[in-house]
Amino acid sequence: LSAVFLQLVAARLLDLQLPAHSPSFGGENGYRAAIGIIMSVHILISGLVSGATQLGPFIEWLGYMRQRPRYDRLAHGLARFSVYYFGIGTTTAILFMVVLVVGLWGHFFTTLVRITWWPFFIEAWSFVLMVVLTYVWYYTWERMRPFKVLHMALGGMLVVASAIQVMMIDIVASYMLTPGSPDNPLRIAINPTAYPLDVHRLIANLAYIGFAIGGISAIFFWRSRSPEDRAFYDWSGSFGLLWGMSMTALQPVVGYSYAKEIQLHAYPAWYSMMFGDLSNVFLAQLGLLGIIFILGSVYFWRRMKASGAPNHRRQGVIALLLVVVTIFAVQPSWFARTYADTVTAGLNRPWWDGGILNPIGNFIPFKVGALTAMFLLGLWSVTSYMRAYSRDQIRPASTGRRSQWLLLGLGVSTSAMMMIMGVIREHARQPYLISGELTISQQQITNDQPSKKGGSIP
Amino acid sequence: MAGSAFEWIDQRAAIRYLVRKGLYEAVPVKGAWFYTLGSATLILITVQLITGIFLTMLFVPSVREAWESLNYIKEHDAFASVVRGIHLWDAYLLLLVLGLHMVRTFSSGSYKRPRELNWLSGVGLFLLVLAMAITGAMLPWDQAAYWTAVVTTNIPSYLPLIGSFLRDLWRGGTFVGPITLVRTFGIHIWLMPALLFPLIGVHLALLRKHGEFGSYVNYRGAYRSYEGREVPPAPAERPIEPPYPSAPIEEEWAAPLQTEDFYPYQTFKDGIVSLVCLLIVLALALGIGAPLEEPANPATTTYTPTPEWFYLPLDQLLVLVPKELISLILFIPLGGVLLLVALPFIDRDPERNPFERPAVIVPGAVVVLFIVLLTLLGSGRLFNL
Repeated sequence: LSAVFLQLVAARLLDLQLPAHSPSFGGENGYRAAIGIIMSVHILISGLVSGATQLGPFIEWLGYMRQRPRYDRLAHGLARFSVYYFGIGTTTAILFMVVLVVGLWGHFFTTLVRITWWPFFIEAWSFVLMVVLTYVWYYTWERMRPFKVLHMALGGMLVVASAIQVMMIDIVASYMLTPGSPDNPLRIAINPTAYPLDVHRLIANLAYIGFAIGGISAIFFWRSRSPEDRAFYDWSGSFGLLWGMSMTALQPVVGYSYAKEIQLHAYPAWYSMMFGDLSNVFLAQLGLLGIIFILGSVYFWRRMKASGAPNHRRQGVIALLLVVVTIFAVQPSWFARTYADTVTAGLNRPWWDGGILNPIGNFIPFKVGALTAMFLLGLWSVTSYMRAYSRDQIRPASTGRRSQWLLLGLGVSTSAMMMIMGVIREHARQPYLISGELTISQQQITNDQPSKKGGSIP
Repeated sequence: MAGSAFEWIDQRAAIRYLVRKGLYEAVPVKGAWFYTLGSATLILITVQLITGIFLTMLFVPSVREAWESLNYIKEHDAFASVVRGIHLWDAYLLLLVLGLHMVRTFSSGSYKRPRELNWLSGVGLFLLVLAMAITGAMLPWDQAAYWTAVVTTNIPSYLPLIGSFLRDLWRGGTFVGPITLVRTFGIHIWLMPALLFPLIGVHLALLRKHGEFGSYVNYRGAYRSYEGREVPPAPAERPIEPPYPSAPIEEEWAAPLQTEDFYPYQTFKDGIVSLVCLLIVLALALGIGAPLEEPANPATTTYTPTPEWFYLPLDQLLVLVPKELISLILFIPLGGVLLLVALPFIDRDPERNPFERPAVIVPGAVVVLFIVLLTLLGSGRLFNL
């Protein structure tokens, strides 16, 4: 009966005349939406896994050096997190690459893989190494406790494997924006934006996992019943925040450096981000950066105040200054027209000549000034809090439940920032998939072109 | 005969006493591998001196013959070519090791009293080595050297009031030319060594007077009990040996809990690290050698100058900032030097543990990380990207 039933179902399906090839998803925008959504999910998870496998071994070493068991517990938690989430990250990567990119934009992906074959090859093997090391690092945690130095060496190897993996995929991503000579593998690897993207992304992943530790600790803090657990999650939340803030403090300069290389080597993409269609999205990104600094310093202020630390007002002042700086950073999107509009309106002159331009040089100096101020204020905030902490002026578990919302907010803001950054970078080089080499419409023509057998050319 | 000759000299020159005093000083036990960076620096500087003396016998400091003399070495003198390679790669490694030595000294708080003058002499040595490196890069008079000379000799002109005067003094006129090369050569082989080597003597004499500080883990201060913190038991204290206790200083940081003799324990580690450094230098000198580009050509319009790698952080900063702010950026290194000089007088807290003094360590770590990041970000320029 089952066989008959299955045959009936098969016969019915044959009648339906399902499409023989990949679905069109409603055309070009459908393709882009499908790929964009899966890619964003992949960035969110793989960024966390990369950060955890790079920060975890460092925390384990820190715990060993300082002989503090809570560091070991946190590092172990990160190892468990990496093991659990590795599978999800891999699934989204496979879904993204094999099913969506190969299936929908096969010509583009084949071209890209053939040009950047070596980075993909090394990335694949570093991925294998990373899988092995992550699992061994986690599952030997207790067994290798008597051989802690050896276990930390495993962690060190994991950091290297994880960093290599990120660097290799960065070569591919940066090549799409600023392609070098495709005949020279070294030129591909050291294309103009490869270094800046590497540094930018490695630090971003480390900051991201810091804020994620803060957000996850907040949830566990709410759920914990024992005073020991509350004390631990309270500490791990503030540790994650400190780490995230410290790394983020570097990002304004590193990010600016990346943008500068894009300006020098892929001007249309830079123009699109700064003055074109993506300028408002980019300013939203700057706003999010400001929010991260503000929420972090407010958390420090609340914690210092609750502990009766003498300099808690200083944190409050830093938070206020950060609000002003953030408004300053995103100001042009609200109070000034875009550069293109300004040119069209004939107002691209300094204000004393009847124009509306910033006399120092368009509106870029606004961003430079605001980013520099964010960097310095963020550093001041972190240092001030750590100074109070080192002098035993912060009481353990002194924060209430409301402060945990700040940590959660930071986790969410950072996640949003990671996604938006990916969207900006990938959209900036439109209409190209590979700058100057292959456009979306060229890929589309190839996809829709019938082959001799009636199918589409891969 | 030889024995009695040695006795005769020893009675007059006190050789045994000096060797014993030099070799049997007490040094802290823990973290001894980190203390090898200072001696590795000294060995690398000595190699610079020896190879530099050798090169002065072959190099002709004139714009007509500087490049020719080096090209002759490159084409016809394999031994001198290796020596030139050693001189170059040794200088590069020296900068790296010296930088690491400073980072180690900073993180361990070894600049605190009574070792402020050690730190200041160290900062002076760092600046002199940097100056040696940049003046050395200007000597080959190939394209890279010429454009390095143009950029470097122009830097003083950004100073207010005396800037143009200093630039013209160094250049021997408004433009880079024959006098610039001769003066730079004089600075490189006479003025800088004349300042460098006495300062090394001062640095070593001060080290001997106060003893190696080492790391906080060697001191009783690391084992103070804190409320709510687990502190491991301190190791057994041994009798204090000269040059400890350091004075004037707080008791818990005055003398290490455990010491060992400089010879053979520390010298063995020093020897290993120095040997590894020398082998690296030799391998790079043999494998890559010292490059020599086309002869200097001020009229060229196609050559893209690239900075020396140790100037990449500054170069990257110059690339990043709007052109209106370039003169301000040049004051950042000056501010950095002033901060290094002022450090022992700003950070006067006796605490040595880096984990307990974040107000200094966090900004310091950010600055170091920043320099590394700018170097990485600017390294694309080495490949003319």
